[in-house]
Amino acid sequence: MSKKTKTPEQQQYEKLEQKHELKRPVLKNCIRAFWVGGLICVVGQAITYFYIYFFNFTEQTAGNPTVATMIFISMLLTGFGVYDRLGQFGGAGSAVPVTGFGNAVISAAIEHRTEGFVLGVGGNMFKLAGSVILFGVFSAFVVALIKTLLIIWGVI
Amino acid sequence: MKKLLSFIAFSLILLSGCSGDGKVTESDLALLKTTNPPAVLIDKNTKGNLDLVENIEHDVEKMKELYDVAVVKSNGDTLVAYKVKHLQRFHMKKIEKKMTKMLEEKYPDENFIVSSDYKIFIEAVELQEKMKDPNFTDKKAKKKLDKIIKLKNEMT
Repeated sequence: MSKKTKTPEQQQYEKLEQKHELKRPVLKNCIRAFWVGGLICVVGQAITYFYIYFFNFTEQTAGNPTVATMIFISMLLTGFGVYDRLGQFGGAGSAVPVTGFGNAVISAAIEHRTEGFVLGVGGNMFKLAGSVILFGVFSAFVVALIKTLLIIWGVI
Repeated sequence: MKKLLSFIAFSLILLSGCSGDGKVTESDLALLKTTNPPAVLIDKNTKGNLDLVENIEHDVEKMKELYDVAVVKSNGDTLVAYKVKHLQRFHMKKIEKKMTKMLEEKYPDENFIVSSDYKIFIEAVELQEKMKDPNFTDKKAKKKLDKIIKLKNEMT
């Protein structure tokens, strides 16, 4: 709907709304997200070094167990109700790292627990995380395809 | 918030509990500081061989992008592990390429294994420490080196 077709009442309401609307603290949110996301990554880096030091993982291979551990930790924290608060405070900073994936899985599972184990938990667990898996696998497939083609053509 | 704090404290205690028997060796700190380990030779202890490893180490150390180099030479392979200065880590692949080319041109008879991985560096320092022990035979050392090389080639 363009502005011209709005009725006088609508225009009046819009003015009223603008007067009362709170301004979003974009900069503050960004800083919070930066700190929370950064802290999560510091924990991840510590776990990477832990695996490098005490197990037979190199820098290249330590990534996989680190991701698994981070997801596991965030799943536990979601279950205890800690991650929700972290998410409320940090916003995107807590959702973008892999820990957000664990949170998405478990929070959906908890939410649908009342609907039963199969149709509730099983059917809804990957409600949000399913799209992450789907597009992750698909984009990995596309990238691998491009790389294979480039190798066949001898570019790299 | 209290829960979160106690969780952080708990995980810190959990992670720091793994410090072992209290005896801190150079290889335990290899990740944190510059160790500059001497070159190791697992081979016939001739003057030519000794000069060769030392020359290799000097040549690698001349590169401005690195700050810590460990060289291990056996009769088959020569392992060169190094740490890249933090801001130069963006050019890691390029540095590796440059170094391999330089080494292969200068020492065409040697078979080089070049790695910037921290894990490989730690293992190389550990091997160098173990070589000081007279009970640590050349055979054991060779086995350990083979293990490091296998670790380096592991991708997943």
